[in-house]
Amino acid sequence: MLSIQGSTRSGFCDGQTRRDFLKIGGLAMGGLSLPDLLRVEASQGSATKHKAVIMVFLPGGPSHQDIFDLKPDAPSEIRGEFKPISTNVAGIQICEQLPRLAQMADKYTLIRSMADCEPGHDAFQCLTGRSAKRQPPGGWPSFGSIVSKIKGSANPAMPPFVGLSPKMGHMEWARNGDPGYLGVSHAPFQPNRGGGTDDMSLNGVSLDRLHDRAGLLEGFDQMRRELDASGLMSGIDSFNEQAIGVLTSPKLLHALDLSREDPRIVSRYGKGENKNRDDGGPRHTDHFLAARRLVEAGARVVTLGFSRWDYHSDNFKQLREDLPLLDSALSALITDLHERGMDKDVAVVVWGEFGRTPIINAKGGRDHWPRVSCAMLAGGNMRHGQVIGSTDKIAAEPADRPVAFGEVFATLYNHLGIDVNKVTLNDHSGRPQYLIEGGHQPLPELV
Amino acid sequence: MRTLQLILLTTLLTVMHGLAADAPRPLNFANDIVPILTKGSCNSGGCHGKASGQNGFKLSLLGFEPQEDYEHIVKEARGRRVFPAAPEQSLLLTKGTAQVPHGGGKKLDPKSEEYQDLIRWINEGMPYGSDSDPKMVSISVEPPVMTLPLKGSQQLKVTAHYSDGSTRDVTRRALYEANEKAMAETSETGHVQLFDLPGDVAVMVRYQGKVATFRATIPLGAPVDKLPPVRNYIDDLVNAKLKTIGMPPSDLADDSTFLRRVTLDITGRLPTAAELKDFLAVQDPQKRSAKIDALLDSPEYAEFFANKWSALLRNQRTQPTYARGSYLFWQWIRDSIADNKPYDHFVREVVAASGDLDQHPPVAWYRQVKDMKQQMEDVAQLFLGTRMQCAQCHHHPFEKWSQQDYYSFAAFFSTVSRKASGQKDEELIFHKRGTATATNIRTKANVVPASLGGEPLKLKPEQDPRLQLTEWMSRQDNPFFAHTLVNRYWKHFFNRGLVEPEDDMRETNPPVNPELLNALAADFTKSGYDMKHLIRTIVNSSTYQLSAVPNAFNARDRQNFSRYYPKRLNAEVLYDAVNRLLDVETNFAGQAPGTRAVALPDNSYNQSNYFLTVFGRPDSSSACECERTQEASLAQSLHLLNAADIQTQLARGNGRADVLTKDPRPDDDKITDLYHIALSRDPNAAEVKFATAHIDKKTNGKKDQEAFTAKKEAFEDILWALLNTKEFLFNH
Repeated sequence: MLSIQGSTRSGFCDGQTRRDFLKIGGLAMGGLSLPDLLRVEASQGSATKHKAVIMVFLPGGPSHQDIFDLKPDAPSEIRGEFKPISTNVAGIQICEQLPRLAQMADKYTLIRSMADCEPGHDAFQCLTGRSAKRQPPGGWPSFGSIVSKIKGSANPAMPPFVGLSPKMGHMEWARNGDPGYLGVSHAPFQPNRGGGTDDMSLNGVSLDRLHDRAGLLEGFDQMRRELDASGLMSGIDSFNEQAIGVLTSPKLLHALDLSREDPRIVSRYGKGENKNRDDGGPRHTDHFLAARRLVEAGARVVTLGFSRWDYHSDNFKQLREDLPLLDSALSALITDLHERGMDKDVAVVVWGEFGRTPIINAKGGRDHWPRVSCAMLAGGNMRHGQVIGSTDKIAAEPADRPVAFGEVFATLYNHLGIDVNKVTLNDHSGRPQYLIEGGHQPLPELV
Repeated sequence: MRTLQLILLTTLLTVMHGLAADAPRPLNFANDIVPILTKGSCNSGGCHGKASGQNGFKLSLLGFEPQEDYEHIVKEARGRRVFPAAPEQSLLLTKGTAQVPHGGGKKLDPKSEEYQDLIRWINEGMPYGSDSDPKMVSISVEPPVMTLPLKGSQQLKVTAHYSDGSTRDVTRRALYEANEKAMAETSETGHVQLFDLPGDVAVMVRYQGKVATFRATIPLGAPVDKLPPVRNYIDDLVNAKLKTIGMPPSDLADDSTFLRRVTLDITGRLPTAAELKDFLAVQDPQKRSAKIDALLDSPEYAEFFANKWSALLRNQRTQPTYARGSYLFWQWIRDSIADNKPYDHFVREVVAASGDLDQHPPVAWYRQVKDMKQQMEDVAQLFLGTRMQCAQCHHHPFEKWSQQDYYSFAAFFSTVSRKASGQKDEELIFHKRGTATATNIRTKANVVPASLGGEPLKLKPEQDPRLQLTEWMSRQDNPFFAHTLVNRYWKHFFNRGLVEPEDDMRETNPPVNPELLNALAADFTKSGYDMKHLIRTIVNSSTYQLSAVPNAFNARDRQNFSRYYPKRLNAEVLYDAVNRLLDVETNFAGQAPGTRAVALPDNSYNQSNYFLTVFGRPDSSSACECERTQEASLAQSLHLLNAADIQTQLARGNGRADVLTKDPRPDDDKITDLYHIALSRDPNAAEVKFATAHIDKKTNGKKDQEAFTAKKEAFEDILWALLNTKEFLFNH
């Protein structure tokens, strides 16, 4: 039952058979029966490489008008201190604090009219596409949990869903994506949260001894799997095998170990610090690189939270500290994905929970402004080098093409080959729930 | 096979005949047009039926509100949707047939009867129909019940019955869905194709808010000549079923297996080695019954079942200040179970709870379940096996429940009021004098309380409506109350409800053995809702005591109870079992050392205990058992195989491995001990040999301290391996 797999064993994307996938994935999919699975797969077309999504959350509500949607012609109490600079795409300008990103605007899309932001300080909407207010029994599952449920692992030694955010003072920002009614099996691996992290490398036992033990277990474990027609026993066998894989071929640990990366590439991402900014997230540029490495190793969804953007005072001073780091980390990630030929398979989304007030307050800050915010999408084989939507003269309201969070999520599901018009998952009351609220469809501008 | 074809042919002819016999008559929007939209799934929740509609065109979900649909089709969009001057130019048809781009694709064939009906309806000036037109009152399906061979098939015929006594064949326009998709699939035209699994499968048939069910029994047809002894009516009814479908049951389980199984199921713990020894030594043929009684009288039974109910009754500690209340409530649940409080009393004391936490701890339920609709939905799902959630916003798609039913039922809770009581975050719950009423969001009418399927009640302002509700619930003839509980408990012991999911008991989701469900419910009611009586009846049956090991015929059986279905130990039970095996005293904050995980009062411990979290101890956030996840995961495997905690406990001085190493007895005896503790059975000779060979291999050629260390490590390895065997992880 339990076999030790060598570190050379190939993953799903390069050689594992479909039968293996069904064996492992079949259990990870839980409620989906085989015909459901086939239906889901049929709507995906065939993919040789696994597709993935990196979700970057900027806790606190970054000021859209100082980053991606500058209004140089607005009165000074509105336009603020930064000037726009031109990008390598004619007609698109962004903040002067983002010179590297300005050189690659052809590789991403800016959405300047995110129109249905929830007002609370919470990553929930950026992880689920939904409001936290009205939740079904069990709670809404996050994007990553849904992908874990529907697609399972892409590589037997890698969890499908990894969340890099550590604990934060304001815990609603620290969410990595809750599994909701899909249950803990689809919770993200959270290597920066303690708990399961320690389980990923051998604890006080040598590799040889683990081999010994696994042999012993196989000898003792004589109960016939056939006893259990539900598939749970064989599921446990599959996951045990996968766990031994994690322990003997530590793909996961290696992905998180940046010392294995070319130092020149590490330095591209900039020098952040692994320390939380007040009650927000860490300014840890390494997480962007870790996300890329995790995806490369087989993760399907990686979430991370970066710094803290709730600037009620000294807005510009703080942005001068944060924007250059964001610029280097994000531009390095996008460059990396392109250089490695991963840009078609990996989509990146960057956003916060809402925008900020047009008028700068007495303390030089901007306050909460859920009427509009902005988002960036990169990679994912989408049409980039464009801006979707716009705001009025003072960046206070969407002026055209208001975009809903659901549309962005539909775009991301579409990228992973999941048809939001067909797939439903049952909540705890047995009600089939679509993955997107309000029937939103993938952004036609991008797909 | 020939007979089958004949039946099929006759049925098909009947279907065609039924259609041909329809003479042209004025079309009625609700009776004739809406069903076309439903069948084309135009009004499904993923399309125009969702609350926001699709691309500006909204239909009521599944066509439950024809009046609204009529408005939307005929009057909106500046009349472009229907175009009487040239019906085929109507947007409804050009979109439906995908002649112009349609996001939903082609839903309608221009050659179909449905298309012709739509053309005719538009030609006739889009009549809505008059009030005097017959209304559909029910549907029926032919045949309703059938015995069919493996891989057999059956064409269904569905008839709609109208208020004027007329009938109409609606086979083509009805919707079909099998409840066990591994057993059967259905076509759009009502053809049922069976696969090769024996047992029972039901097909739900829906047509415009009415439902009917087709049930197929699929025998395996094996000879059933050896049946286990009949201990009570459960065995009669299960054996009868097994004979009908020709599926021979497994043998009875041996004493060790029985003891482990029943101890885990009643008390949530492993039997001790001493218990095992005593039990095996007793010669009395009644010893299993005696053991059952002893377990039911132990405080551990009350703790284990309090754990189950505490989660379902949402006993959460969401604030630190809730600790007192959650503990009092848990204690009340535990004591109620220990005292074997009749179930109807138990439920009444929760549902109609009044007072403060000290006077009456179950008011804690109202602290967690705050809103009238939630209270009603929880009560319906938990105690009546009825999921009302759908009917909040629209008619329930698989059920008879309408929004009127939903709000009438919710009105029972409309007078529940609360005010602050002595301590922070604690409340006094009381009935506020006045008329109980809730507003139906669709009709905007105020409705008074009515039980499910019952007449509106006229209550005096001083009457607490919740007492009327609990009185109705516990009436002997209540069709939901006893059935739901016996099904829930059946599932606890058999890992599969007679109805699945256990709290979704609707006409269209029939039990696999209806006679058994009815008999259990009748017996439970007659016993005065005696919970221990119910458990005793279940676990004394031969059915419960069957072996899990399949014979040549029943390996794939998942619904006839021809053998015991193994179930994984749940998070708390497994945690306690691992600690028992490693001889660790548990230590939870604020609890006496050694308190079992099974005996924790609320969900707050999940946060600090990764083991409980990763194995899915529920957070008590819903009234559904499904919150307790049964799935395996990579994180669980990694934890059991490699957790630092477990490694530390394995290697600890004076831990189980250390003590065994120092134990001067022969290794064989020590291995036997470990099997007793972990698996509640004797090891066989091969297993002993396998284990001692590992010890010998590790210690070979070593001396003194080195040999001691090697031997201790060998015992650590053996313990590690035992706790990762499926035999340990499962109750079987």
